[in-house]
Amino acid sequence: MNSELINKIADKATNGGGLINSLEQVLLLLMVLVIMFGMGATLNFKNFRDALKKPKGILVGFLSQFGIMPIVAYSIAVILKLDPQNAIALILIGCLPAGSTSNMFTYFSRGDVALSISMTTASTLTAIIMTPILLGIYASGFAEQIIVDASGQPFKIPYINIIISLALVLIPVIGGMILLKKSPDWAKVAEEIASFTGIVIIIFLLVSVIARHGDLMLLTPWTIFVSALFVGLFGMLFGYFFSWGIKLPPRWRRTISLETGIQNGPLSFAIVLASFKAPMDSQLLWLPILYSAMIVASSSIVTLFFRKIGKNDWELYENQTIQEKLFGKVYASKMANQY
Amino acid sequence: MWPGKAIPNISSKILFCNAIFKPMSNLENVKNVAAMYQASARKYGELPAFATKLSPTKWKAITYGELYETGLNLATGLIDLGVKAKEHIAILSDNRVEWIIADYGVQLCGAADVPRGSDITDSEITYILDHADVRVVFVENTEMLARLQVHLPVLKKITAVILMIESSASHKGVLTLQEVIENGKKSRENGSKKAEERIAAIEEDSLFTLIYTAGTTGVPKGVMLTHKNMISQVEQVPIQVYTNDRVLSILPVWHIFERVFEMMAINVGCCTYYSNRRTIAEDLKQVQPSFLGSAPRLWENLYQKIKENVRKAHPIRRMLFSAAYFCSHVFQDSVAFFYFRKPDLRGRNLFTSLLLAVYNAIRWVLILVPYGILNAGVMERIRLSVGGSFKGSVSGGGALPLHIDQFFNYIGIPVLEGYGMTETSPILAVRSYERLVIGTVGPVFPGTEIKILDINSGEILYPNPSKPHNGRGLKGVIHARGPQVMKGYYKEEEKTREVLQDGFMNTGDIGMITFNNCLKLFGRTKDTIVLFGGENVEPIAIEAKLLESAFIDQCMVVGQDEKSLGALIVPSLNELQRSGISVQTLEEAANNEKVKKLIAAEIKREISKDQRFKSYEKVRDFILLPKALEVGDELTGKLSLKRYIITEKYKKNITEMNRRAK
Repeated sequence: MNSELINKIADKATNGGGLINSLEQVLLLLMVLVIMFGMGATLNFKNFRDALKKPKGILVGFLSQFGIMPIVAYSIAVILKLDPQNAIALILIGCLPAGSTSNMFTYFSRGDVALSISMTTASTLTAIIMTPILLGIYASGFAEQIIVDASGQPFKIPYINIIISLALVLIPVIGGMILLKKSPDWAKVAEEIASFTGIVIIIFLLVSVIARHGDLMLLTPWTIFVSALFVGLFGMLFGYFFSWGIKLPPRWRRTISLETGIQNGPLSFAIVLASFKAPMDSQLLWLPILYSAMIVASSSIVTLFFRKIGKNDWELYENQTIQEKLFGKVYASKMANQY
Repeated sequence: MWPGKAIPNISSKILFCNAIFKPMSNLENVKNVAAMYQASARKYGELPAFATKLSPTKWKAITYGELYETGLNLATGLIDLGVKAKEHIAILSDNRVEWIIADYGVQLCGAADVPRGSDITDSEITYILDHADVRVVFVENTEMLARLQVHLPVLKKITAVILMIESSASHKGVLTLQEVIENGKKSRENGSKKAEERIAAIEEDSLFTLIYTAGTTGVPKGVMLTHKNMISQVEQVPIQVYTNDRVLSILPVWHIFERVFEMMAINVGCCTYYSNRRTIAEDLKQVQPSFLGSAPRLWENLYQKIKENVRKAHPIRRMLFSAAYFCSHVFQDSVAFFYFRKPDLRGRNLFTSLLLAVYNAIRWVLILVPYGILNAGVMERIRLSVGGSFKGSVSGGGALPLHIDQFFNYIGIPVLEGYGMTETSPILAVRSYERLVIGTVGPVFPGTEIKILDINSGEILYPNPSKPHNGRGLKGVIHARGPQVMKGYYKEEEKTREVLQDGFMNTGDIGMITFNNCLKLFGRTKDTIVLFGGENVEPIAIEAKLLESAFIDQCMVVGQDEKSLGALIVPSLNELQRSGISVQTLEEAANNEKVKKLIAAEIKREISKDQRFKSYEKVRDFILLPKALEVGDELTGKLSLKRYIITEKYKKNITEMNRRAK
């Protein structure tokens, strides 16, 4: 039943200490800690409260995040007939909250950064409940297909462990949020150092893992590559059309689209490593690694595209915002189509 | 089309122009400035046109509708005051909303304005107002009013003075802007259609403005610019500014350069925000302009500030900045190659071009990812120093130093260098976003003809089919003919004939057409020196003064695009020997400390103590030439200096002197 890829990883896990070695594990957990702290340092309560006052955007974002994304992941897993381990990994990615990089991509795609931050905050804080529930709905079927021991017992998703790791990850996030409240200047520095360290470690890990496990690349069937790429892209696509369907303004559509498609990749590493036992942890790790590598490229391209199509409405919106600030009123706005 | 290949002239020129200059104007039926004002009021009536700062954070705007209405009232008021069509009306004011109101009034009554700012000197007031036959004068404030009133007894032609602000004190014989507007309004309410009739009667060949060039010594010349001149500029400046953009106005509004951008803004219905040098930093943050007309000094200041901030930042950030700048540089440079944006001065052959293409392609691929990350993470923050929505700026009024030019264009703030002069209203050539060739001033406007003439013989070097590549890559004096070239100097037919022959304006600047059809500048043949800060200096008067010293035999003042003036000096050997310094040759003298001290003292005595010279006209440094200037080589038959030749010859020494000055 298991594919060659999964067997190979299991083989590596039993003979060579898993997909990633202990140094990389330490680095990975450190990275998650630092990134989550840095992410917390960008999330402020005020933005969040403001967003709650006009809850439409955040609500749509929430639905898109935890409604669309898991279904997209599940459907891809079913349609491409992924083996159960990869299916679980894909669905796990789909059930995670949004990553902090979505805020940066939103900025460059001329979206609403405040909304993006609020949505990230909301999904990160609620993930502790939502992720296990969604995994229960979408992933448990795949888990039953995996036979772990000789007694023929099916694999059980370690919900409690997942909840604990999500809770642990929230500690640096909240730490960062407190720092931002206490000292915005230090929060800025923390965020910068965090993103810099994050980038360095993630590049190191990707290079190191892929260099040591180049053989896995060759064993990986095209369906895995396709699902790692398209889970994000379809998330963005459906997120966009969902918010378009309910007539949100274009800059919110772009925000929600990116927010839906960009998941918290590092968080998936942390959950897999902290909650699953060998060899499952190694088997579940391969797809998130591929996803993390691909989402950066795909969302960059989507962002460039959004930037282009969003030019007009963004300039109109920006001009009105500035007029309101400077003049205390907004002048006629029907001139949007002067281009 | 491959960049290395020589491009056949005429057909490709047209092809190029069509590709570069998108027809962006909606000016088909608009033939004069007043009609453009009218059209904008109709199209953008509800939108803000010009804004002015009320308090540190609040601004007030006047809409296109209000502005036009007020302008019509003012125009009618002016007509009732006796202003005739085509009359010249002076506006002495710096950038402010009342300026544009006054301009609207003048244009809408079919007259032309004679604008100057508060930096006008007293002698200029008397000369210009008299020479331009001005009868009505707008003054910005009570200070300007007081300065004007001193000279009123000699300015016999003046019949009305209009104060542009409300003043608590009443000034005898002075109207306020508001009064004239109110009077006009009453007339219009009683059915006066005089302004509308005047607008309909404007010919495109009539003047819309008469701008007196700032001559520090010598008399100012009145440059006659027509409606057609200005409309052609608005049509052709390849800057995409749209209704939802914001334009910040910081250059003096009476300069034709700034006025082009005001007109462009009016044409597309976007709002212009009046700023000034003191508040520019905070205005950039508040207004977040999409565009501004600028001078090199602005970029120099900003450059210093950014560098300073980088120096002060923590080491990680400093390192990131260096990395980001390096990546941007390589990336932009590679992209520039493929968009034919590298100045090609020699005409590459196909093989070199191919090699360069491969090299640039490899560089591009290697740098793409780090560039993407660092551009988003580091450069974006730097770009915020000009507000978050900046699309670009045209820099003019002086040469942009290459390192500053590169810096801003590499970090992603497009600074487009333009070239022109008041006499060409003003732009002849400017880089566009598509043709951002650093180191050149971009392609020449379509419909503008350029001739490059040999400096000595006057032979046409470009366009000249008998020369290789039609004369591209050859340096000479730039002559230009086109819709933007002035009608002439007001009441100065002889001076007009000197520079304007057969429709071609002799710019006095030295340049060449590069192999990718851009204009590149090298120096100038005319005497006037334009300092880095934009101050015009006439060197001849200073040189004459220096020559009064017995120790100085020959001299030339230099300082084009520098912060201060320097002099090249040939000392008098006889005089030196007589005063007891034993030097036999000029070469010896050039290296003698005693001579240097003596000459320095002489310069100081001649210039510094003379109150007629302004501070920027003082000679700050000098070099002693090892050889006298000779007829045939450095002097013309009439013994006047061949400035360009001398500058080229002693380039190394001059550069060294300039470095010393910094």
